[in-house]
Amino acid sequence: MKKGLIVLLAVAAVVLGIFFWFQGNYNRMVKMDEGVQAAWSQVENVYQRRADLIPNLVATVKGYAEHEQQTLEGVVSARSKATQITVDPENLTSEQLAKYQKAQGELGAALGKLLAITENYPNLKANENFLSLQSQLEGTENRIAVERNKYNEAARGYNTTIRQFPKNIVASMFGFEKKPYFEASEGAKEAPKVEF
Amino acid sequence: MKYLLVNNIRKYMTLLLLFAATVVMGQVPQRPNPPRLVNDFAGVFTGRQVMEMEGVLAAFADSTSNQIVVVTLADLQGYDKAQMAYEIGEQWGVGQARFDNGIVILVKPKVGNSRGEVFIATGYGLEGAVTDALARQIIERQMIPHFREDDYYGGVASALNVLLPIISGEISTDEYAAGGEDDGWIPALLFMVFFGIFVVFLAAMSGENNRNYGGGNNRGGRNFTATDAFILGSILGNASGSRGRSSGSFGGGSFGGGFGGGFGGFGGGSFGGGGAGGSW
Repeated sequence: MKKGLIVLLAVAAVVLGIFFWFQGNYNRMVKMDEGVQAAWSQVENVYQRRADLIPNLVATVKGYAEHEQQTLEGVVSARSKATQITVDPENLTSEQLAKYQKAQGELGAALGKLLAITENYPNLKANENFLSLQSQLEGTENRIAVERNKYNEAARGYNTTIRQFPKNIVASMFGFEKKPYFEASEGAKEAPKVEF
Repeated sequence: MKYLLVNNIRKYMTLLLLFAATVVMGQVPQRPNPPRLVNDFAGVFTGRQVMEMEGVLAAFADSTSNQIVVVTLADLQGYDKAQMAYEIGEQWGVGQARFDNGIVILVKPKVGNSRGEVFIATGYGLEGAVTDALARQIIERQMIPHFREDDYYGGVASALNVLLPIISGEISTDEYAAGGEDDGWIPALLFMVFFGIFVVFLAAMSGENNRNYGGGNNRGGRNFTATDAFILGSILGNASGSRGRSSGSFGGGSFGGGFGGGFGGFGGGSFGGGGAGGSW
């Protein structure tokens, strides 16, 4: 009788221990998952911020550089393409992220081209409005770089956690998926370089 | 077996990546211990200038909770100036975690043929008060004119003179932008000119002929001569006395310990890419 009780207690303790272990790990993963999603929404925010600056920029440049129709149209179409791509932060896949990054990278490249041709228009470069847009754009590129970095760091922490043994058991049981990363090569280096 | 192999390779890759990451991270200067707000790694300020700025900034951090860090680096270690400033802010945790109200002023002095670089990085919480455009104005109007004349202290000090009231909310950023155009310019120019004359005067008087902006500064007691003491008062005289004793033996730029425990420590603020930079 007494022996049976001890065994029962021991089993109960082990079960409880396992339960708490699962609970702790599950909750930590949920928290990290939320962290990655929050970082992602920051990334989208700063890209949106850049997209919001573009209509104003294009309108300003248009007034001075009418002959650059093609470049201007390139920026406008790249912008509309980039803003059409939305990513569901709940299930971020590497394909989605790659597509998003590619579209934003193309927009960055188009913007770079536009800013490069503005060098040929001294009147434009003296325009107060243009200068302000240019500095806002530069600040936005900085923010994009920072937020992408932060997202990658959050994703790295999360991925490391869900793939480590034995936590990966919990992760696979509850369907925690690996998060994709931003590739460093694109975007960050193609970002328009605004020189003063 | 195959899975295991793949797994192993993955593990090594991750390790390698992690290692690479730590190598890169290692290049950002370590958070100073004890915490300091003025970190003159490039050695462009005199000990007294450092103490003065540290005192002002520590008092400011104390009364407003905003933390402004001044960092000078002789070498950006391959980093972009913006990136370096953010990394410093983020890793040191400049500003309060709750408000993210930190600012990092990073100066890379012009040495030889290399360009001088400066960046003002604002924490998330101060992006509204110190906009990118404002940061750029401060750099272009207050800092670079001084930096061009090798007057690093003058540039940083005059930037701080503009920044502190704005951050503490005494004057609005609009006021600054408006005032800067007409009546703000001339006093600034005058100040610059007078400051330049003052510096030249001081330099000539004290016969200071080896201003060394490199790494190992040999700023000993000799820089603070009786002339300085005469001009700047007896307090400085005391300071120079003690400085002379300590730096006689090892000329390294060790300004530690003399601040009387002004600054309590960094608060864990975060940076999101606000701010602006410039170079000359």
